[in-house]
Amino acid sequence: MKLFAYYDTGHEFSEEIIMAAGFTPYKILGDVHVSNDPADRYVHHYICPFSRSCLTEGMARSKDWVGIAFCHGCDTTNNQYDIWKYHVKTDFLYWINTPAKNDLAANTFHEKELRRFITHLENHFSVEITQDKLSHAIQTSNRVKHLMRELAALRSVKDIPNSAYHALTRKCVQMNKEELVELLEDKLKEWKNLPVFPADREPVLLTGSDITYGEVMEILETAGLRAVRDDLSLGERYFAQDISQEGDPVKALVDYHTRIPQPPTKIPFDARLSYLESCLKETPVSGIVYQILKFCEPHGLDLPFMTGELKRLGHTLIVIEREYTPTVDQQLVSRLESFREIIQRSL
Amino acid sequence: MLTVGIDIGSITTKIALMDKTKLIYTDVAFSGYDMARAWQDIFKTMLLKTGTKEMDISCIVSTGYGRGSVGIAHKKITEISCHAAGAAYFYPDVKAVIDIGGQDSKCITLNGSGTVSDFVMNDKCAAGTGRFLDVMARALHVELGDFGAMDHKSKKPVIISSMCTVFAESEVISMIARGESRENIIAGIHESIASRMVSMMNRIGVSKPLVMTGGVSRNKGMRTAIEKKIGLKLLVPNEAQVCGAIGAAILGGA
Ligand code: SF4
Repeated sequence: MKLFAYYDTGHEFSEEIIMAAGFTPYKILGDVHVSNDPADRYVHHYICPFSRSCLTEGMARSKDWVGIAFCHGCDTTNNQYDIWKYHVKTDFLYWINTPAKNDLAANTFHEKELRRFITHLENHFSVEITQDKLSHAIQTSNRVKHLMRELAALRSVKDIPNSAYHALTRKCVQMNKEELVELLEDKLKEWKNLPVFPADREPVLLTGSDITYGEVMEILETAGLRAVRDDLSLGERYFAQDISQEGDPVKALVDYHTRIPQPPTKIPFDARLSYLESCLKETPVSGIVYQILKFCEPHGLDLPFMTGELKRLGHTLIVIEREYTPTVDQQLVSRLESFREIIQRSL
Repeated sequence: MLTVGIDIGSITTKIALMDKTKLIYTDVAFSGYDMARAWQDIFKTMLLKTGTKEMDISCIVSTGYGRGSVGIAHKKITEISCHAAGAAYFYPDVKAVIDIGGQDSKCITLNGSGTVSDFVMNDKCAAGTGRFLDVMARALHVELGDFGAMDHKSKKPVIISSMCTVFAESEVISMIARGESRENIIAGIHESIASRMVSMMNRIGVSKPLVMTGGVSRNKGMRTAIEKKIGLKLLVPNEAQVCGAIGAAILGGA
């Protein structure tokens, strides 16, 4: 099945529309192992390195994709769309203006945007995106979400390395969904038989900038920390909620996006905080790791409010800023180890 | 019960031997390129000079950036916990610790019982670390050990505006070319590091008693600049440079 790529810094994009059009949705995640030189010709170094990596991938791989869609996200994403128009070769580049708010007017607007996107896809690719096809795609998506919820719940009871969980979350947004369901079913059987949660790991909640490559998870692991909950787009944001299978599927997609754990680009901040609070109530953790990618603006903006509130609620947390690099940064490991020592002495 | 703490920093390796709560021996040596060699040498010297047998040591704790290289360590503990424990050994009611190390600087707050409650670290940028002082000493052709005394003679500290060690070095070189006195430049350098330390301290909120550990604490000019900016007196133990190793040895007995 052909790949349709999308650029989405949260979980705004309705993959089900692409599935109903007969393509495999492929989330552009860049490649931290490849130099950003090509993108750096067009974007300054002080702009989020992840977005530059995505542009590098776009310039190199756009011919493998039948089309590319962008969702309104952080300012970096929004500005990237204009750059991609000039520097990424594709026959179909599309902008979906997903709203920042969650009120009635925003939802009406979102629905119009999705219908407009469907019409453009139908016209450009000569396909018909029927209600039935959308409903079937939603059903498949829900199966993925259900399996991921079961798998993710095992993190706090079984010995599942951070990077193993992360690898699955990447597959969720890049793999053919039918094959993905089979893979997740196999993983579930495998993970259920893993040994219990190791005594030498401290369970933590992981939040902040989206983590797009496994090496970041290894930093946590090296420091003796295990993320058992998160609110990341490659993570719980993607599968925390099901899409309703009742009524009009487009309306169901709009409604779905109002219920998922919110990213920092959404207003107000409180929705994000309340999801974190619910995670902390449901799953005992020893602390919170709040990591932000250098130059990630929305999370930088969000940080004082979020950390202030979480501390006020009595949670132990550490804030770390990381570079966009696959190298396991020993200084970050050291800080996280210090954090683990604080947690262990306070227990 | 004998315990040993080995603190391998980017510039120096420190060792402390303790018999329960009694400090028996400390030593400092350059880390050099080979960290394993550094701790082995200092450890052997300690055994020789104190007449201690390795089998009599009940716990060896390593700390610092090179802590992973100490193969014989029973525990590896981060320098944050060790500096806090070392400071609390000398000043049991300590509430905050600052440490300016070779490649990082840190500010630690402690709760009443001597355990760490929070910390901030600058480990990404040489500005505000011992490395910054090294670079400046080289540019000024002054021994680092003379910085304190020269700062004392300063009449009007210069203002160093660059946030980056590399640019600050160029700024200092321009000042030398302009004929600025080395004393004033050194005092300006101390003030610039002190500013960075104080903004770090303000991030977690420090209170007294405030202890300074690490080798840079021997520099009186540096201490005075920090005291002036934060408005609190700094307590500096004689063994400030080996506080991390002492803390490691203490935690080895805990
Ligand atoms: S990492 Fe932050 S700045 Fe970069 S694209 Fe994602 S949300 Fe935007």
